[in-house]
Amino acid sequence: MSRQKPPQLLPPQSLAGPALSAVTMVMCFLAGLALGCALLADRAADRWLARATSAMSVQIVETARLSVDDQLPAVMRELQATPGLGEINLLSRNDLVALLEPWLGTGNIGEDMPLPVLIEITAAPGAKIPAKALDAQLRAVAPGARLDTHGQWRETLQSTARALTLFAALVLTMVTLATATVILFATRAGLLANVEILNVLHQIGAQDGYISRRFEAHFMRTTARAALAGTVLALLFFYALGALVPEARQGDFLIHLAPVPLAALFLSWQVTRRYVLRQLKAQL
Amino acid sequence: MIRFENLSLRYEAGRDILAQVNLDIPAGAFRFLTGPSGAGKTSLLKLIFLAHAPSGGRVEIMGHDTGQIGRKQRALLRRQIGVVFQDFRLIDHLSIFDNVTLPLRIAGEKPETWHDNALELLNWVGLGNHLDAHPATLSGGEKQRAAIARAVITRPQIIIADEPTGNVDPQMGERLVRLLVELNKMGTTIVVATHDRHLWENFAFPRLHLEDGHIHQMEADA
Repeated sequence: MSRQKPPQLLPPQSLAGPALSAVTMVMCFLAGLALGCALLADRAADRWLARATSAMSVQIVETARLSVDDQLPAVMRELQATPGLGEINLLSRNDLVALLEPWLGTGNIGEDMPLPVLIEITAAPGAKIPAKALDAQLRAVAPGARLDTHGQWRETLQSTARALTLFAALVLTMVTLATATVILFATRAGLLANVEILNVLHQIGAQDGYISRRFEAHFMRTTARAALAGTVLALLFFYALGALVPEARQGDFLIHLAPVPLAALFLSWQVTRRYVLRQLKAQL
Repeated sequence: MIRFENLSLRYEAGRDILAQVNLDIPAGAFRFLTGPSGAGKTSLLKLIFLAHAPSGGRVEIMGHDTGQIGRKQRALLRRQIGVVFQDFRLIDHLSIFDNVTLPLRIAGEKPETWHDNALELLNWVGLGNHLDAHPATLSGGEKQRAAIARAVITRPQIIIADEPTGNVDPQMGERLVRLLVELNKMGTTIVVATHDRHLWENFAFPRLHLEDGHIHQMEADA
C-alpha cells in the first residue's frame, strides 16, 4: 500500500454525488440545446437577411399621364447605369400571373387585366444597393416606379432572430442560475457533513485555501464528468438533427458547444470556492 | 511563551468563565491544569490553541498577540501548537498513518522528506503495527497515542493536552504522560489539563488550579 499518495480528506459519501451529477448533466444538455438552436436560427436568419438585402424589386404602375410602357425604357436605362447591380430581370406576364395566382385563383387573371411591371434586381457580389438613392433616381425618371426593399419582411425576420437570441440567453441564464444553486446547496451540505473534519484541519494549521481546494476538487471532478456527458448528449441531438438541417452536423457549428462544459466547470469552481471561503472566514 | 494579561472569557451573555486572569508560562515549561468540572479548563486551553478569542484582555503566544494576527498567520501559528484532544478527534475514514502525518501534508512538506521519520515516530508510540488500521478498530489507548503522534509530528513548540488520560486505564495514562515528559525534555512547552490527582502527585510539575474564574499557581506536589 502506497503511503506517499495524499489521502482523500473529505469522504466521498459525505458529499453530493449522483444527484448533483444528474442535475448538472441535464442542465448542460439544456444549455447546449439552447445555445445550438439559437446559433442555427441566427445563422439561418443571417443568410435570409443577406439574400433579402441583396435582392430587391422595382414595380412600375400607370400614372395619370404615363403608361407602364412609357416608363419602362427610362427605368431600365437608370438601372443599367446604377453601379453595384448584378442581375436585372424583367418579369414576363406569365411570371407575374404565376406570382398572383396563389392569391387570385388559377384562371382568374384574364388577358385584359392590367398588371404592373416587375423588375427583380440583385446586387453584384460584395456590393450593396444604395436603396434610398436608387428609389429617388427611379422616381425622378419614372413617376410610377417604386423600389421595394422588402423592408417589412426583413424587419420581421430581424425581430424574430433577436427574439430567438434573447430566448436562448434567457434559457442559458436560468440554467446557469439553477446549476449554481444546486452546486451551492451541495457545497453547503458538504460543509455541514464534514464540520468535525474541518475543525481538525483548522486546528492542525490548514489555511482556508487548503480546505477550500478539497471541496473545489471534488465538485469540479463531479461537474466535469456530468457536464461532458450532458454536452455529448447535446452533440448527439444536433447530429441527429443534421438529417433535417445539414448544418447541425458540421464541425464549425458543433465546436460552438465546446464552451458549455468549460463554463460549467468554471461555475462549479467559483461557486464552491466563494461559498467555502466565506463560510470559513466566519469562523475564528 | 504563553502569556495572558487581564484576560476574561464569557460565552455570550453568560457569567465570566475566566476573570482578569494573568498567566505566564515560560518556554520549555511543563504545567498541569487542574480544577473542578466546569471550571473552564478546556476554555482556557482553547484560548492557547487559538480556537477561542478572549472577551477581554490579551493572549500572547510565542510573542504574537493573538488578537492582532490575520487568518494566515493564525494558521501558521497553529502549526506550532500540537493539540491532544480528550476525544482524540482522529479522522475516521483515514488510516492511522494518514491521520498522524496529516499536519505534515498540510504544512506542504513532501512525503519523501518525512516518510521515514513518521514511521519512526509511529513505532516510538507503539503503533508501528497499526499503520493502515482505521481509528474505529483501535483501543482508547491506541487512539490516544495516535492523537499524541499527530500532535508532535511537526515538532511543535507547544503541546496542549486536554484530559489525555481520561479515556485510558491508569497504567496507559501514566505511559502517555511519560511520553509528554520525554517531549518536554526536548524543550517542548507542555500544558496538560487533568482531573487525575495521581498524575500531578506522581509527576513533579507545577500546577495551575482554575476555580471560580481565577488561576492559582501551585508548586509541584511531588
